[in-house]
Amino acid sequence: MNSHGDHKMPLSQRPEWSDVTPVPQEDGPNPVLPISLTDDFRETMDYFRAVYLADERSPRALGLTAEAIALNAANYTVWQFRRLILESLEADLHEELDFVDVVASSNSKNYQIWHHRRWAAEKLGAEATSRELEFTKKVFSADAKHYHAWSHRQWVLQALGGWEDELAYCQQLLEVDIFNNSAWNQRYFVITRSPLLGGLETMRDSEVSYTAEAIISKPENESPWRYLRGLFKNDMQSLVNDPQVLSLCLTVLKAENVSHVFALSMLLDLLCHGLQPSEELKNAIRALTSEAGPPGSDLARTVCSVLERVDPMRINYWKWRKSTLPSQVV
Amino acid sequence: MEDSPPGSSSDSNSPSRAESFDRDRHVFFLQMMYQLMPSQYQGQEINRLTLAYFAVSGLHVLRSVDSLHKEEIISWVLSLQAHPKNEALLNDGQFYGFHGSRSSQFQKIDNGVWTANGSHLASTYCALAILKTVGNDLSVTDSESILKSLKHLQQPDGSFMPIHSGAETDLRFVYCAAAISSMLGNWSGMDREMAKEYIINCQSYDGGFGLTPGSESHGGATYCAVASLQLMGYIEDGLLSKSASSCIIDVPLLLDWSLQRQAADGGFQGRPNKPTDTCYAFWVGGVLRILGAYQFIDETALRKFLLTCQSEYGGFSKLPGQLPDLYHSFYGFSAFSLLEEPGLHPIRIELGIADNVAIGL
Repeated sequence: MNSHGDHKMPLSQRPEWSDVTPVPQEDGPNPVLPISLTDDFRETMDYFRAVYLADERSPRALGLTAEAIALNAANYTVWQFRRLILESLEADLHEELDFVDVVASSNSKNYQIWHHRRWAAEKLGAEATSRELEFTKKVFSADAKHYHAWSHRQWVLQALGGWEDELAYCQQLLEVDIFNNSAWNQRYFVITRSPLLGGLETMRDSEVSYTAEAIISKPENESPWRYLRGLFKNDMQSLVNDPQVLSLCLTVLKAENVSHVFALSMLLDLLCHGLQPSEELKNAIRALTSEAGPPGSDLARTVCSVLERVDPMRINYWKWRKSTLPSQVV
Repeated sequence: MEDSPPGSSSDSNSPSRAESFDRDRHVFFLQMMYQLMPSQYQGQEINRLTLAYFAVSGLHVLRSVDSLHKEEIISWVLSLQAHPKNEALLNDGQFYGFHGSRSSQFQKIDNGVWTANGSHLASTYCALAILKTVGNDLSVTDSESILKSLKHLQQPDGSFMPIHSGAETDLRFVYCAAAISSMLGNWSGMDREMAKEYIINCQSYDGGFGLTPGSESHGGATYCAVASLQLMGYIEDGLLSKSASSCIIDVPLLLDWSLQRQAADGGFQGRPNKPTDTCYAFWVGGVLRILGAYQFIDETALRKFLLTCQSEYGGFSKLPGQLPDLYHSFYGFSAFSLLEEPGLHPIRIELGIADNVAIGL
């Protein structure tokens, strides 16, 4: 039997299981939403029930849990019992991670597998660090936005360490795909939580430059705009006063044949938080509208009007934003 | 790979699919599933109760739940409840809720007593939702055991684990705990303040919520966060008109992030720069409804997108043109209820059940 639990022979015909009486599932008289179970599935779970009730923590029981997992990787009772067996047998957890590698290759969007990995890695401690980081990288090479893998990687970094190359890894992923929102999120995670870096405020200037470059290359990319805003979390005043941010918005607004939506939205927020617009900014915004508009006032209203036009899916939102502008905004 | 636009001439094989919500076909789909689920679903045997919730609540949204045998449903659901042998056991650290199916509920051969408590928080939520949906007032459940043992699942950081024997902890289970407490009308089973703190820590720099602190913001997690806060009483109606400082979460940023999840094809995505998917019309649409901002979406575009995911067999698929599944079907029906499709029951968004069921009519 291989780790996928491919069944060459039904359990009832295997001599090594002849002493065990399988325990059938008793659904009761009128089970709701019955699922059509294959014979294979039914039999494996009947034998699992038997060893579970007998609390048999043997190598053959371990093998049986592998077969059950292959059919039913979401069954947390099977995983939990497997953990009990592994502990009783004092099994090699590196080998266990090998086993999970294989199961995960066909079941990667399954919470139980990731929890089991975490359990094994936690027991192994620092021994598991580079292996777990490598494993998640492998998952990302096939799916760079794999949510479970990113959660696992974040847990590994916080519980076991390995921060040294993380920022570089984010950079690498963003070079492959600047639209990868998971990589942007991870970048934020690193700059705010890595014990090896100076923290958000220290990193801010260089991060703003990096983000600005990403935005200029693809102004329609939502991720770096959100990231930019995130760099000034809880510090709107610094965002409003940052010349790099303003200059970035202007550059995007003046460009032709690019999306202006996020630049305008950013400017709207800046204006609402007290930005005093320069003539250059006022002209750049007015160039986007066909209206003459009164000079020097109602700029935020104008921005909203432009947004209604360039982001029509959210026209009702921009109208509402226009109607709820703070009274003192320009 | 994209289908041709709905309503175009190449759709002449099944014109009804593209143009309108096909309620009758959806009822048929659910009734077929209810009778017998195909073996492709056997991997979900462990949480069959969740599938039952999709089917029963789905039929209720479609105003067809009366076609079901309610007594049978109630009796099957109740048979999945874990009961402590005596009251002292309520402090043994276990959670006494509902199992998702017999596959986590084991019977000793010698006597008829169920042993080995594998009850699960999400299954408990589904059990209560189903019971309410078929008209039961939950007095038949052993709610005391649920409430007294619920706290064993809450973690020091405020999050919840779904089973006491050990599992991942994240916002999904905070939501389940809040919904369970709300349906039972009793908050003694959880520390709301701690849960609130955990939720706040899950709000990402971009305004959405991740499943755990530091995780990427995600439509499903955002629903769990906002619905939980609503149920626990930490956010009220008319949120948008209140000043930013009075709210414990960053509402303007959340609003902007959530609205931006409606993509060019009219559907909702779960994260920026990811494909649109039927179910986010419920998760993110639901968030917007709770915030009082549903009118800011483009309902026409959303409808059009959802209809491309409507299957000619009944039900909805994840992406346009694929085969339907029970999960996306339920959230597709719920999304149409949010769109106020005629003939559907309105939904109490934060509980995921029909409105009249939520208030006990």
